[in-house]
Order: sequence, then C-alpha cells, then structure tokens
Amino acid sequence: MSFITSYCHLTNKSCFVNGQLIAARDTDSQDSWLKQLYKEQEIVYPKFYKMDTLSQTGFILTELLKKANSNIINAYQDDEIALLFANRFSSVDSDVRFKRSYQEQASPSPALFVYTLPNIVLGELAIYNKWYGENMFAVLPKFAADFYINYVEILLSTGSGASLCGWLDIADEKIDAFLFFVEKEGKGNQFNIESLQKLAGLI
Amino acid sequence: MIYIGAEEIISPLGVTADQNFRAMVNNQSGISLVADAGLNKTPVHLSKITDLQFEHPFDSLLEKVLISLSEKIDSDIITSDRTILLISSTKGAIENIIGDQFGRSVAFIKERFSLRHQPVVISNACISGVLAINAGANFISAGLYDHAIVIGCDLVSDFVLYGFQSLFAISEKPCLPFDSERNGITLGEACSAVLVSNSPSVFREAPLRLLKGTSANDANHISGPSRTGEGLFRSVKKTMEINGISDQDIDFISAHGTATVYNDEMESIAFDRLSLTHVPLNSFKGYFGHTLGAAGVIETAVSIQMIRNDILLKSLGFQQKGTSVTLNIIEENKPSELKTILKTASGFGGGNASLIIQKL
Repeated sequence: MSFITSYCHLTNKSCFVNGQLIAARDTDSQDSWLKQLYKEQEIVYPKFYKMDTLSQTGFILTELLKKANSNIINAYQDDEIALLFANRFSSVDSDVRFKRSYQEQASPSPALFVYTLPNIVLGELAIYNKWYGENMFAVLPKFAADFYINYVEILLSTGSGASLCGWLDIADEKIDAFLFFVEKEGKGNQFNIESLQKLAGLI
Repeated sequence: MIYIGAEEIISPLGVTADQNFRAMVNNQSGISLVADAGLNKTPVHLSKITDLQFEHPFDSLLEKVLISLSEKIDSDIITSDRTILLISSTKGAIENIIGDQFGRSVAFIKERFSLRHQPVVISNACISGVLAINAGANFISAGLYDHAIVIGCDLVSDFVLYGFQSLFAISEKPCLPFDSERNGITLGEACSAVLVSNSPSVFREAPLRLLKGTSANDANHISGPSRTGEGLFRSVKKTMEINGISDQDIDFISAHGTATVYNDEMESIAFDRLSLTHVPLNSFKGYFGHTLGAAGVIETAVSIQMIRNDILLKSLGFQQKGTSVTLNIIEENKPSELKTILKTASGFGGGNASLIIQKL
C-alpha cells in the first residue's frame, strides 16, 4: 500500500496545493502567470527564465510540493526519488516555436531546440534537486490513472523509495498540470485508481 | 525469467534483421551524402531510407515492422489481452504534424492490429529505446502483462536536422564514434522491434534472456554530457548489482557512442569507473547514424544478432583512440562466443539507461 502524500494543480487561472487555492493569476500583471508564481517562491534560480513552459510548470509545481511535504527534501537518498511524467502533446509548445525559428526567421534557435523533447523537464528537476534516480516520460492520449498506479508500484518495488509524478498538458498556451508525490508510507489518500482520479479532478 | 527476441530492423541497410546484419558483417553503412538536405540546402551525411515513399512514413514503418515481427512469434500474441505495445520515439510524425505527433499513428496502429490495450509512447530522448525495453520487462515482472512488443522508430526530419545543425553537432564526415577525429553525430532513420515475454515458447527462433535494467539521471545539464559520467556509471552499476553480474562476466558492450567529442569522452570515463575498459565495445552509430528514439531498440536487436551469430562487429569509423581513457574498441569483425552483453544509452535531459542480455 502506498500513499499520495501531496499533490498540486495548475491551470491558466489558479494554483492549488493539496486542494487548497494558494495563488490566482493577476491578469493586470506584466509578468506571465508562471513568472508570477516563481516570484512568490522566494528562490533565486535564473535558469528558470530560460526554460520553456513545460519545464517552468514542472519546476514551479515541484517547488510547491517540496514546501508542502518536507519528505521530498529530507527523507530520501539522491537516487531514491523516481520521476514519472506524461502528457498528451509532448513538447508541442517548444516544437512550434522552434519550427517558426527556422521557417519564418531562417535561423533555427539552439536555445529552443534543446527544449523540443518532453523529458527535458525531468532533466531540469534532476539538475536543480540533484536527483539521480529513475526517469520516464510517456505520451498518452489522456490522463490514465492506471498507467501511474502500475508503473509507480513497479518503481517502488524495484529500488525507488518514492515517486514524483506529473501530468503536464501544455498546448496553445493552455496549462493543465497535476503533480503528485507517492510514498510507501504516509497517511491520507491511498494510492489507487479511484483516489488518483478523484485528486486529478476526473471524478 | 524474462525473454527477448523476434528482433526486426528496417533501416537503409535492409528491411529485415537478417538483411541488416549481413550488410553489417560486410562492413556496409547506411550513411551517405545527401544533397540539399541541410540548412540552406547544404549537403549532409545522413543514414536515410531512400524508398520511403509513404504518405505517412512514421505510421507505415510501425506497420511494416509489426507485420515482420508478427511472423516471428505466435500468431495470437499481438491481439492478446496480455500484450502491451510500447513505442519508443523522440519526434514521431513531426514532419507531418506539429502538435499531436504521436496521436494519429498510435490510433492507427491500435486499430490496424486490433490491439487490446492503449499503446504507451516512451519519449525520453536518446535513452527511449533502452528505457522502453526495460519498461516492458518491468510490466511483465509485475504480472501486469505477459508480453511487451517494443518498437523504436524515428525519422530524419528538417526539424531535427536543423536543430542539431544549430547546435553545431552534425559531423561533416560520416560519424566516427570514439575516434580521435570525431566531430559530431550523423542522423539516421530506422524502425526496429523486439518482443519481450515471460514465455520462451512464443518465439519461433530461440529467445535470449533479458535481465532487469535501470536508468539514472546525470543531474548535470539538459543537453551536455556529464564530465564524470555519473548517471551512466550509476545506471550500469545498479543494473550489474541487482543481477549479480561482475565486470568479468560481460563479453561485449554496445555503447551509445554518438561521436560527439563530449559524449564519447563521458562514456569512456564512466566505463573506466565501472572497471569495464577491458570489455570489447563498439558503437553502431557508424552503421545506422544516430536514430534517436529508435537507437536503443535497433542496437539491442543487432546485439542479439551478434549473440546468435557468435561474432563481434567492429566499431565502424573508429581508427585511432580519441578518449582520455583507453577502451577495448573492436577494430575488426571477429568470431567470438558471446554470453552476456551490456547495452547502454545516454541522452538529452541527462538520462542514462542500461540493460543486460544473456544467451540461454
């Protein structure tokens, strides 16, 4: 038996941690929504500004989970947290921008190209947090609770102590992101299909 | 026990694993100079399938390889409720579709072959193939499925070629993995498939044993290899330890060997830290170029063929030591009985993955 010990959601308007609204977008701000959230985090990581929306989203939500659940920082060895992420459209946002750079500007941008892989967000999380664990990024037609349930159980039974999971659907500037942290021990939401679907907002 | 076999390969060297392997034994490469292919119509060396005249080449390659694979296994495996299809790819049909670059292809294959479960696309840059094979074995070990079909496929596209050109990562000459003159990758396109199963009897030709593999991140840089080879070191160490395999047990390493200056150097450092520098090693990139998401699958398929044919294939393009650590790079094809082989991969996003295959 494992537990979802913390989770968070991000849409274009709001950000929730463990179901509680923690921030709402200031539509009058000059800053992008992700930049607004970044500024509230009290961290200084200039590399954030180089990241694409997919990586920025994964980064911000991971920081929020770390604040909500100190186990993510304290309870595990550097290779014990597995990263299991998925989405529907891979790195489409960066793909479109990169394609524009060579089709319209005749100058392919290497800074955009390096973000045209969906797993780059996992690399960004690993670099910032010094995590050397297992990584996997899958592309699925929709959020599939059973995919996470099945593969996290595999990861937790083969050496990983916990799993940071994410569904990062980002396309046409629409953000629908859900991150959750699964541990072998804990309390609250049991890690099963029903509770995962419920927390994801599907039922 | 988990088994692997029924390997198939579609590449510029042929449309079956057998054709590909015979071409490789004869030192043929799929790489050639393609006029106008590069940015500003410059000529570029590519390993390109020249007769790929389909409306949807990505879908057609998946279909073709699955038909070939189906002829090497029990006929009811593909449609079985106990089978999952894993597709390893970085960019799918990006040349045709920007956005949902996998959706149509996956739906087409699911429908075309009456697959019972939703296929899963594993998109982890250049480690996708090794990761997908490992994931297949994990699904089976956990009792979720009995069989996993793993297909690795990526095409050469303007998108990817221009991207690597913008990074100055494309070799002017055909790529030269581990050589002192190496100066970048050569892109390739290919589609390769294997079956992973808990049943040896479903394979028409005897399978091999697939041991549990692992992955590890470098936690270093999103597009640059680690200077210490940390992630590759950790992944291979874990894979060897959990399987009780020592450095003396490994007969051959199919390295990643992209032929960039930093990648190959990183690998040499990791293999040194693992006490594996004595093991015969090659990179298959000189034959197929770098096929990205297909690489882990096609290189595992060729490694299986090497075991079946008792031969070590040379590292095509290698002439002179080009890494700070001396590796035992295979310079000529030679007959050799191979029992245990290690396959590794490293890629953008800091990913590293490894697996071990043994002759039964």
